[in-house]
Amino acid sequence: MSPSTTAAIINDLGALLLFTMLLILAAGQVYRAIYAVAAQSLFIAIAGAVLALATHNADLWLIAAITLVVKAMVLPWVLHRVLQRLNVRREVEPVVPIAVTLVLAVAVVVMAFHLSGSLGAVQQAITGNALPVGIAITLLGVLVMATRKKALTQMVGLFASENGIFFVAIAATQGMPLIIEIGVILDVILAALVMAILVLRVRSTVAADVADLSRLRG
Amino acid sequence: MAFLVLLGPLVTGAIQKLKARLQSRTGASVLQPYRDLTKLLRKGTVEADTASGLFRMIPVLVLAATVAATALVPVVRAGSPTFPLGDALLLLGLLALARFLMAVGALDAGGAFGGMGASREMTIAPLVEPVLMMVVFSAALAAGTTELGTLAAHRGSSWLFAWDAADFLGFAAMIVLLPAETGRIPVDNPDTHLELTMLHEGMLLEHSGPGLACMVLASHTRQIVTLGLVSSLFFPVGLAVGAGATALLFGVTAFVVKVALLATYLALVESSYAKLRLFRVPQYLGVGFVCALTALALRIL
Amino acid sequence: MTPETLLWLLPVVPAVTALAMLAVRDRRILSAIDVTGSATLATLALLLARAVATTGPHALGVFRADDLGLVFLLLLATLTLAVSIYTVGWLREAVASGEMQADSLRYYFALVHGFVATMVVTILADNLGVLWIAMEGTTITSAVLVGFHGHRYGLEAAWKYIIVTTIGISFGLFGTVLIYAAASTHVGAGASAMSWAAVMAVAPQLDPGIVQIGFVFAMVGYGTKAGLAPMHLWLPDAHSQAPTPVSALLSGVLIKCALLGIIRFQTIAAAACGVGLPAQVLMVFGLISIVVATPFILAQHDLKRLLGYHSVEHIGIVALALGFGGPIGTYGALLHVINHGITKALVFFAAGTAIARYGTRDMRVIRGMFAVAPIGATLLMLAALSLAGTPPFSIFISELTVLRAGIGPGHWLAVAIFLTMVVVIFAGILHHVGAMTFGRPSTVASRAPEAWSPLLAMALLAAIMILLGLTIPPTFDTLLRRATEVVLG
Repeated sequence: MSPSTTAAIINDLGALLLFTMLLILAAGQVYRAIYAVAAQSLFIAIAGAVLALATHNADLWLIAAITLVVKAMVLPWVLHRVLQRLNVRREVEPVVPIAVTLVLAVAVVVMAFHLSGSLGAVQQAITGNALPVGIAITLLGVLVMATRKKALTQMVGLFASENGIFFVAIAATQGMPLIIEIGVILDVILAALVMAILVLRVRSTVAADVADLSRLRG
Repeated sequence: MAFLVLLGPLVTGAIQKLKARLQSRTGASVLQPYRDLTKLLRKGTVEADTASGLFRMIPVLVLAATVAATALVPVVRAGSPTFPLGDALLLLGLLALARFLMAVGALDAGGAFGGMGASREMTIAPLVEPVLMMVVFSAALAAGTTELGTLAAHRGSSWLFAWDAADFLGFAAMIVLLPAETGRIPVDNPDTHLELTMLHEGMLLEHSGPGLACMVLASHTRQIVTLGLVSSLFFPVGLAVGAGATALLFGVTAFVVKVALLATYLALVESSYAKLRLFRVPQYLGVGFVCALTALALRIL
Repeated sequence: MTPETLLWLLPVVPAVTALAMLAVRDRRILSAIDVTGSATLATLALLLARAVATTGPHALGVFRADDLGLVFLLLLATLTLAVSIYTVGWLREAVASGEMQADSLRYYFALVHGFVATMVVTILADNLGVLWIAMEGTTITSAVLVGFHGHRYGLEAAWKYIIVTTIGISFGLFGTVLIYAAASTHVGAGASAMSWAAVMAVAPQLDPGIVQIGFVFAMVGYGTKAGLAPMHLWLPDAHSQAPTPVSALLSGVLIKCALLGIIRFQTIAAAACGVGLPAQVLMVFGLISIVVATPFILAQHDLKRLLGYHSVEHIGIVALALGFGGPIGTYGALLHVINHGITKALVFFAAGTAIARYGTRDMRVIRGMFAVAPIGATLLMLAALSLAGTPPFSIFISELTVLRAGIGPGHWLAVAIFLTMVVVIFAGILHHVGAMTFGRPSTVASRAPEAWSPLLAMALLAAIMILLGLTIPPTFDTLLRRATEVVLG
């Protein structure tokens, strides 16, 4: 594949990632957000595969495969299981109205593109518009975490945020070194498991959503 | 132009048929909308006592505005039209005018449902129309013109790989918007006259006979205009550049295929989703709004 | 042993200790393994320190020991040993009072040593990616420890801790990726483009724009973990809900490890785009932390939360000192890292014994400690005096150095804010601690004799604290000076 074709495909995938991120932000029910973040991870795996094809880098194939299995399949599955085990109301329960977060989201996206538009030389190292898209998704993930009450939705925001970083990492010249990438993924899995355990333990000890606990103040 | 107006009811019929099949019903024939129209044209008119003379003119005006809009959609040919009719702005303006007239008519009749339908429609419209505008603008910025034929030609035969982020987001916005613009689930329900759910239908309640026929035909036409707009903005494949007979024929076929695909999408959405509560509609359309705004922002930056 | 062997042995020792503990159930054997493991770690750290002092930095794969890392490694080793000694007596009482379940002790110990292992890796990591992975590893292990008590407050604190720091640290990863993207055009792709030493070698040629953005991201990321305001939200909760030895490790070592991460990125940023931007960012975060912590310290009733907010203040002071920069500022920052780590662990130990004695963390109930536990009360008083910045204790020396660093280049506004807050906090701390130690003991106080092992641990730390207040030993001074050179490039 020629570099321009690769860049075009990465750009398209970046747009799809932004779209899935907006879906996560707009999701009214927790399971929709989970599906959206799974789709997002799938696109990142595809991006990895495309770049692997373009750069003939065997490591990237592996990274794409790991991303596909772990982030697009295992983590959503864990979230889904926890959701079923919790058996609570499935609405997202935003702290701030969803419409307001959507408006904030636009501001964030515009800011991210503006910011990376001001970086000339960097663009060579990172394919296509991966940098602004990555920054935007990372920040929007934080936005999800800050504006949603449910523990599971906060976890979705976290994974989305990490997806943004992975996208930049994959698009940066040749992807991160394999060993680092594997370590990062391992951390993500462990963190997700610990969080899932915490959510379930809180449910079983005090019958509440862990993100709703707010006794510790001041 | 006439081609679009004639084809309009067929699209509605096809969507209804497909929906019926998806719900394991046989469904009415795809030609049913034509039969309904001819039936209505033969009937007499009954008017509300409170209606003014304006009420009688409304259906004709609505139909006129919508039909005029059809002239602006490049159906089979790309490139500048032989004589300048108008551009995307005029197209959107005509559609908005039709919508406005329809609401005025509904209010004029004085019926409770008409007023309610009008107020609901006017709640949705400010969310829908800016999105349409922004999507058109984001495409227009790339081409440097708002003339739809030239716009489509500029995009030429480029296919998905030539799309950039803004195109994807614009298309996503349109996908979200289509059911709203065509008055379908999950925003509106075209099949029911239940007072709780209807938007568009509520405004037609007071009309009857040929007047109603005009209004219904206008809705069919509006639907195909919107589908035509989407296909020419995003999938200009197959639009004839020359004037040869084969090219034209190919253009017509391509158009029919594209509209059929979009109609299938609408039918699928209608069958697989429930209608949203009215309060939730702004949130749903908000996704489209955000996508369109982002698309526009990306173009400007 | 060669220094290279030491480099891989250091993280392996706590990891093996952790695994070994999973096989044991008896409390006394567990404590014995605990102390042995920590003592081994401390010995190895000292050996490595001597090797680096004589033959310079050593590298092995993704690990590298330089003087800067050694400052933190020595702090970690000392505190781990002190914590292990303290845990012996603390655990006996905690099990007796039902605070800790006897059958889950091995998991507790294993997690503590796993936590220590991840911190050793963060300190020794040369590869910025490994640094990040280990940093996230500390979050995972310590989050479980924070929620170890299993009641709703512990779980709430653990959740807040893991969510806030994980999201924060992912910014750190973003910063790492950006620096990597900038460096890979010069070093070539692969693990070496993430090596701090390799990146430093080419730092002046890096694109300043991307390094700036990368630094800000890394600053926010590791700053969250370091407890800098306004990302400190997890810190008071986690510090107050964790078991006391873990609180000491969190406050004494963990937030310092995160600080080391910040320093690594700061040096890269300073070399690539000048000292201006990183210094300003550090100063702003430092001042915000100092100012934000003050009202919470004054109005606090929960003893361990008080100490938590106090950590926010002191990490702010270190950040401020790094922002002042120059040889004096950097030296002061590193000295303050050591002093605060030692002192804070000591205060947590003393507070832990007080809490166990009174059965509450509410400072309105803890009264008249001199009457029931004279030695513990004396140590608490000494540590609090040091923490508040009274001469002749160590923190006074480092705060004075920081002031000098600020006055030199004329950062008057920052110095004024710093001084005001330090004076206010001085009054606040002495008020709280004075009320706790003097006066008539409250009725809930247990009059049991003081256990030896917590006293031993506290005496060890108090001795270091007083020693560093009176004089800085020449070898230690050399180490700090060399570490300062590493930071300044």
